[in-house]
Parts: sequence; structure tokens; C-alpha cells
Amino acid sequence: MGGLGAVLAITPPQLGSSELNIAGGSVIGSSTGTSTTASASSTSNTTAATTSAKPVATKKATTKATTKATAKADAGATASAAPTAAATTAAAVATAKSGTFTGPAIFVNYGTVQVKITVTNGKITDAVAVQAPSGRNDRWTNMALPILKKQTLAAQSANIQGASGASYTSYGWYTSLQGALAQAGL
Amino acid sequence: MNHLRRQFPVWGTIVDVDCYSQSVGGAELDRVMELVIAFCEDVDRDFSTYKSDSWVSRLRRGAVAIEDCPDDVRQVWDLSLRAKWLSDGAFDPWAVEGGFDPSGLVKGWAADKCADMLVAAGVAHVQVNAAGDLALRGGWFDSSVGEVKPWSIGVVNPDDRNEVVKVYEITDGAIATSGTYERGAHISDPHSGMIAIGAKSATVVGAEGWLCDAMATAVMVAGDDAAKFFGQSELAGYQVFAVNRHEQTAWEI
Repeated sequence: MGGLGAVLAITPPQLGSSELNIAGGSVIGSSTGTSTTASASSTSNTTAATTSAKPVATKKATTKATTKATAKADAGATASAAPTAAATTAAAVATAKSGTFTGPAIFVNYGTVQVKITVTNGKITDAVAVQAPSGRNDRWTNMALPILKKQTLAAQSANIQGASGASYTSYGWYTSLQGALAQAGL
Repeated sequence: MNHLRRQFPVWGTIVDVDCYSQSVGGAELDRVMELVIAFCEDVDRDFSTYKSDSWVSRLRRGAVAIEDCPDDVRQVWDLSLRAKWLSDGAFDPWAVEGGFDPSGLVKGWAADKCADMLVAAGVAHVQVNAAGDLALRGGWFDSSVGEVKPWSIGVVNPDDRNEVVKVYEITDGAIATSGTYERGAHISDPHSGMIAIGAKSATVVGAEGWLCDAMATAVMVAGDDAAKFFGQSELAGYQVFAVNRHEQTAWEI
């Protein structure tokens, strides 16, 4: 990880976070992902009733922590699936297809990124870059893309609206992935 | 209930805004979102250390005094002073090579500003995620059951981002995570100048985004010594979750 850090440190503008963009079951605004300046805007209207939440005048954080069974002692261990993951996946099955879906090719200033996902019964089972930057940034690309793939597969495993903890996700990967997700109906 | 989710590139990363409003929708909601995006671009213009003509870059090379900077820059300067004081210098934007660099605080500060802009415009339920620094307002609207719920925000395992190691349910507040995995080892210890080794990843949850952001960095630097910072009255109600570097363990407040 130290080596990766050293490489990433010299390419700061390409890094960001996008776990939440593809969080399981909550992808309401799908994007065409064809623009490199702004993406994924959508407005939807639901008729369900709502309680209007209190305004935010209070500066006191209202939080409740839920620690998963594995969280404290097992921070580094594998396989702590969120309890609700199964339900999320099941919900996705109803609307999503199976097959492979290739997002648009996105030009970023160090090359072109294009992502292909494989979907089985509404669950992303693989994500690969069919195009990735090459040249002087090879070292970065070679290490970053496997991480981005893991992250793509992971985001559907937790029933959350957002994630804290940054990532290596490049804007190109993210934008192309959004296009692939939209095609898959995810 | 109107719902709008918008992601846009700024500050070398992506900001993700997810919001719900009963009263604001359509073109009006789009218009408010454009104001938020414009604000973020202003922040980049004022604070970027990559732009030689930003106020912060000019401060760094001594071309301008803080007194001559615009309000937002002076405010961030003052908040940086407070964060440095609250962390006994473990968070110190003045100890950065090249001079004053408030990057460890600006994202959290700006996320709060964005969220408050939306709330002021009548958008009751807001999540602003600035690459892992989040501002939350009013919970979110779950249309499947027709009710407002707290935002569930996962803390990613620094060793394996396939995992969420902890979930905070936050209705109003902020959460920020720092880690050496985040953008390489970009956090250094202001006392020693060495890479921060206090924790592998540090998350702080509380009322104000700038303080969460800065204190997450302070925990990265000071490790479990940082626990004492959170005994101060200014940090009452703030929560910490830190993953230790070598053992497979974590500690929290």
C-alpha cells in the first residue's frame, strides 16, 4: 500500500470517491455518463407521503452508531456482509437484466477509460476496464484499476446511502461505470 | 417528494449531492444545485494549492496578507487556528511544506456550506459527500416506506474496501475519514515532519464538518493520544472511530 500511496501522491487531481454512487438498491439517478464535465443528474417524483423533517437549525449532530458484529475486533478481516445485503440484491433482481454492459469511453487528461460490467440476476459479478490509460501513468493505472474493480463489486454489498473513507476512483472509471449501470438497469 | 442526485467534478475529486424536498423541485431544484456547484468552483478558485493565483497560493508565497483575503479565506484561517489549538498542534496547516495549506479542513467546511445552501433554499433532506467528507441534513426520504430515516453512512475498511466496518446513522451532522490509503501518505506529523503513523484510518462524527475533517487528521497524527482532545467541551458530542495500524483492532469514543 505504501508504494501505491507514493504513486498516487503525484496524481492528485484524478482521485476521488464514488462508492456511494453505486450503493446497492439506491441508484435512483442513473446517468448517461457521456459528459466529462457534469454527470448523473436526475429528478424523480414520488407520491408517497412524507414527514417533513426538522430544519437543521440545531448544530448538534444527531447520530446513532451501529457497529457491525465484526467491526471492532475484525477491522481487517474479510467477509462481513451487511445483514441487509441479501434484501438489497433481491430487490435489484426484479428490475435488472443479466449480461455484459459497456459504458462510454471517457477521456480524462491522462488517457481514456472505459468500463465493462458483467451482471448476473441484477448483481454485478465483474467489472473490467476495456480501455485504460497507458504511457507514463502505467504504474498508476495498473494498480488503481484492480482497486476500482473491487470497489465496484463492493458497493452493492452494504445497504448504505453513503460512505466515508476515500478511494482511488478516477472520474473516468466512475463516469463510464455509471453509463454501464444505466444500461443494465441498475 | 422530489429527489435530485447530482455528482460533479471539483477539487480534483467528485462531489456527490443527494437530496429530497417536498417543496422544491424541477427547475428550481436544478437552479439551487447550480448555485452549489458554482460555490464549489469558487472554493477551488480561492483555496487550491494547485492554482498559483488562488488566495491560498498567494498566502503561501507571501504575496498577500490574511487581512487582505476575502471573508471565506479569513474564516477558514480562523477555523484552522481553532482546530490547531483544539488538537494541541496535531492538526497544523502552517506546518505543511510550502506554507499554509488548509486542505485538511476545507472539504469538510465546504460540504457543510453546500448542505446549508440547500437547506436555506427549502431542501430539507441533504447529503453532500465531498470525497469521504460528508455533511448530512434532515435524514433521507425512503420512498419504499414513505418515511424519513437517518442517513446510514458506512465507514470503509482501510484494508479492504469491499467492507464497511461501521455504520453511523446521522440525521444532522458531519462525518469525515482520513487515512494513509486515501491519497497516498499525504498526512504528515507537524511535530516531526514524518508521515503520520497514529492510525491507519480515522473517522470523526460530529456537528461541524470542518472540525470533523481537521480532527480526523489529528487522530491520524496523534493516534490514541488524540482521545484527550475529545474531552474538551468544544468537542462534546463528537465521536471517533480509529483503525489501528498493525493489529486488526480499532478504538472509538
